[in-house]
Amino acid sequence: MTMSGFRERPSRVTIAALATGVLALAVAPWVLNEFLLSLALTCLMYAGLAVSWAMFSGATNYLSLATAAFFGIGAYVTALGYESLTYPVSVFLGGLAASAFAAIVGVAILHLRGAYFAVLTFGLGELVRHAITFVEKKYSGTVGRVLTETPEAATVYLTVLVVALAAVAVCVAVRSSRFGLALAGIGADEQRAQTLGVNTRLVKIGGFALSAFFAGALGAAMAVRWTYIDPPAVFNPFIGFQTVLIAMVGGAQTVAGPLVASIVFSLLTELLRLQFPYLFLIILGTLLILLVLYLPGGIASLWTRKRAGKRDG
Amino acid sequence: MGFWLELAASGLITGGIYAVVAMGLNLQYGLMRIMNISHGEFLMVGAYLTWWAQTILQVNPLVFLPVVALMLFVLGLLVYRLCFRPIARTAANAEVVEARSLLVAFGLMFIVQNLAYLVWGADLRGYTFLSDSVEIGGARFGANRLLVFGFALAASLALLAALKFTLFGKAVRAMMQSPTGAQLVGIDTAVLHPAVFGAGIALAGVAGALLSMVYEISPSMGEPYTVTALIVITLGGLGSAGGCLAGGLLLGLVEAFGMHFTSPSLKMLLSYGVFILVLLARPRGLFAR
Amino acid sequence: MSLSLRWKALAVALLVAAGANAFAQDAPVRIGYAIARTGPWATGAQVSQEPNYIMWADQVNAAGGLNVKGKKRKVELVGYDDRSETETVVRTYEKLMTSDKVDLILPPWGTGANFAVLPLITKHGYPMLAPTATGRKLLQLKSPYFFALLQQPDVMMDALAEYLAARSTKTVAFIHVDELFGLEQASALEASLKEKKIQIVAKKSYPMGVKDLQPVLNEMKSLNPDAFVSLSYPPDTFLVTGQSKAIAFNPKVFYAAVGTAFPVYRDKMGAMVEGVMGLGTWNPKSSPAAKAYFDAHVAKFKKEPDRWASAHAWAGLQILQQAVEKAGVDRKAVRDYIAANEFDTVIGKIRFKGGENISTPGVVSQWQSGEFEVVWPPQRSTSASLYPKPAFK
Repeated sequence: MTMSGFRERPSRVTIAALATGVLALAVAPWVLNEFLLSLALTCLMYAGLAVSWAMFSGATNYLSLATAAFFGIGAYVTALGYESLTYPVSVFLGGLAASAFAAIVGVAILHLRGAYFAVLTFGLGELVRHAITFVEKKYSGTVGRVLTETPEAATVYLTVLVVALAAVAVCVAVRSSRFGLALAGIGADEQRAQTLGVNTRLVKIGGFALSAFFAGALGAAMAVRWTYIDPPAVFNPFIGFQTVLIAMVGGAQTVAGPLVASIVFSLLTELLRLQFPYLFLIILGTLLILLVLYLPGGIASLWTRKRAGKRDG
Repeated sequence: MGFWLELAASGLITGGIYAVVAMGLNLQYGLMRIMNISHGEFLMVGAYLTWWAQTILQVNPLVFLPVVALMLFVLGLLVYRLCFRPIARTAANAEVVEARSLLVAFGLMFIVQNLAYLVWGADLRGYTFLSDSVEIGGARFGANRLLVFGFALAASLALLAALKFTLFGKAVRAMMQSPTGAQLVGIDTAVLHPAVFGAGIALAGVAGALLSMVYEISPSMGEPYTVTALIVITLGGLGSAGGCLAGGLLLGLVEAFGMHFTSPSLKMLLSYGVFILVLLARPRGLFAR
Repeated sequence: MSLSLRWKALAVALLVAAGANAFAQDAPVRIGYAIARTGPWATGAQVSQEPNYIMWADQVNAAGGLNVKGKKRKVELVGYDDRSETETVVRTYEKLMTSDKVDLILPPWGTGANFAVLPLITKHGYPMLAPTATGRKLLQLKSPYFFALLQQPDVMMDALAEYLAARSTKTVAFIHVDELFGLEQASALEASLKEKKIQIVAKKSYPMGVKDLQPVLNEMKSLNPDAFVSLSYPPDTFLVTGQSKAIAFNPKVFYAAVGTAFPVYRDKMGAMVEGVMGLGTWNPKSSPAAKAYFDAHVAKFKKEPDRWASAHAWAGLQILQQAVEKAGVDRKAVRDYIAANEFDTVIGKIRFKGGENISTPGVVSQWQSGEFEVVWPPQRSTSASLYPKPAFK
């Protein structure tokens, strides 16, 4: 387990570095141009998604593909409620709606394991997407919503920043709590955790719902950028896949791994896309395969391995 | 043919198409726990090769079928050697194989799709083949769809029989039940794994070749088929050849009857609903091993 | 062939990235866009849209450059792949407008992507002539910088209803896809048919991604309507055609919306397309200009342009060219010029009102011996319609 690094009391230097980092991120809207800001936004979005995904799936080994569903539910809350609610309220409600959804379905599906769980959670996303299409068409005669008055780019950025930071903070807090230990215990050996007195069912549902909150809130926050919101656009399975990819490449058992991976992956993809318009997917795919083959523990193993080495020596 | 029979037949035929799409992935996952989500991409390659053969070389797609199978089998061996063998060798347990193969397959998906864009362009493509209809007891069905259905049945039965009666099949089943046990009795993974992986890719290619006779093709066609395949094999029970066929047919029937009794708008909702309900009732699929 | 073209495009892109523009005498006019080269949108974008951009830039440069108020300047395209992702579309246009600071932009593919770019073009003042975005909802946003080149759904459906009325059609059965375009067309068709007092005997909808519609088509067949209309997208358009043939569903009029205008529809479906109608605007017989455009496209890309949006994309480029000639690259002036004037294009005269192309009428086209003939309205026809449609072959 690579948990130890986060249970140690952070040094003053770490705190100072973190504070500087957050400050730098917070002033970005006034420093960066619009494009760099929206690139930073993409990094933050995937950081929030990947970290919150890893909080549940990385710890418990329940590979969830429901991120797209949570994201879409959040986005739809914005679509329906944005005109009447304010932006922060719809972001919060988007998170809550996704969380509630996760809790309800979690009751029913969290006894499935492995690929069955993964494919089922994917199916749930599609189910919700088609259900929304059907209901919306039936009762309003159309699908999708047009948002006319959308918030400033800086507002969207700062909102996503807050959600992503909250995701990281919660994730760090969870890991050093009893709840986090219970999640990790489930991942290591669910039956043993049960015998040791962990209410695994409740813990799993709680973890699933908590991680869904952030995906939902991010969906709600990002949706305003697209003017027209309809189910195919926001229930985009690719967002869910990419989240899993980033978290796993980073090292899903850590917080820093997915965090670093989301930044590296987003920036690298963008750089390759702009520089090699016809070859970037080949390059990206090759890099990904090489990384998985030669760095089996994920990006996080770069520093956890070193640290472990230091301790041993 | 009565109305209900026709409805059932229509559902079964579509279900057969689903089963064909899923067979290759089922084999790979069943034996090696390789979560090959680039499955649809190899299906797409099979479709394009067939389209090429048909439009450029004027080769009958059916005649070309074995060629596609062979080409993709070899491609599969190569892919296994480069990407999956290192994982199978170093991974501590099946769960690690599953997770890491998923990521590698992601990379493959990007690469194969991008290559297809470079070689064939993004345009939709297609050719006409066996588009006439066949009349069965008064009901009419597209001949190409019937062909795919026939292939699904034949291939599934052949696979079941091969697994049951041939030595190779017995080795595969032994490996599925207990990898260590199989190795102890002298079954060689170094041969078996690449061969089965290659066969999985070959089946994906053949499925693509068959689908290109019915549907139009494009480099982005793979992903939806991967999803279909995942749903079908999970529904049937991962690794079960019979389950794969049953899962596909069940989905086809649900769609056909669902469409009739409710409304076609609800079609997707119904298929996913049934899929989820089945898994809730049977968490390891219809034909859990 | 297409392979070598792609490599060439790659080489050009790399050169541009390396800053090869230093050579030009006069700074080139930089025109930016994001479009799908990969992902599900690419099938449409790479048929109807980006080939036109590339061909136009080549033609303009071969003629010495773009006429900017009497001064010739080369055109430099700055094109990126948007991966069929809305967020990437937004981010790329932000880059083009604020970072690359391109002189002009060209639109992305599809209604959704155009929606997403709309706030940006309005904020930064970039005129955008969109050939693959349609729907009243887009126009209702009233961006002064947005110009829709395609006919709106109601315009197209009115034309279809007029044609049906002219053939004294009594009954229509129709299906539509549950998606913005399908729904908007469906309500437009219902209204138009009602006005013409044509009875709708069946109306069904289906979700995107279906693989089988035979049971629905059987039901439609059993009602024996005079006309069948499928307001569908390419995959379903192909599906509906093939399965209608299989069950020998042969109404007097068989109409399928998006995708019928693609040459691949004819290539894939073969002889069975004879007599099928659909959304189209033009074909090489429409005018000498259309013929010239068609021939140039085939010569350059070894493939035919589609008979609907392709020519609209070309028309958009022609309009932009004419506007720049008069107004320069002052974007506000270009926008005002486009809004106020009438233009000569490959699909005839075009004038905009409230961002809508009000000159191009609704058109009904029909496949006849390998060409998608315009059969309605009469003044645009390139051939008389085949009526009733011959049975599927």
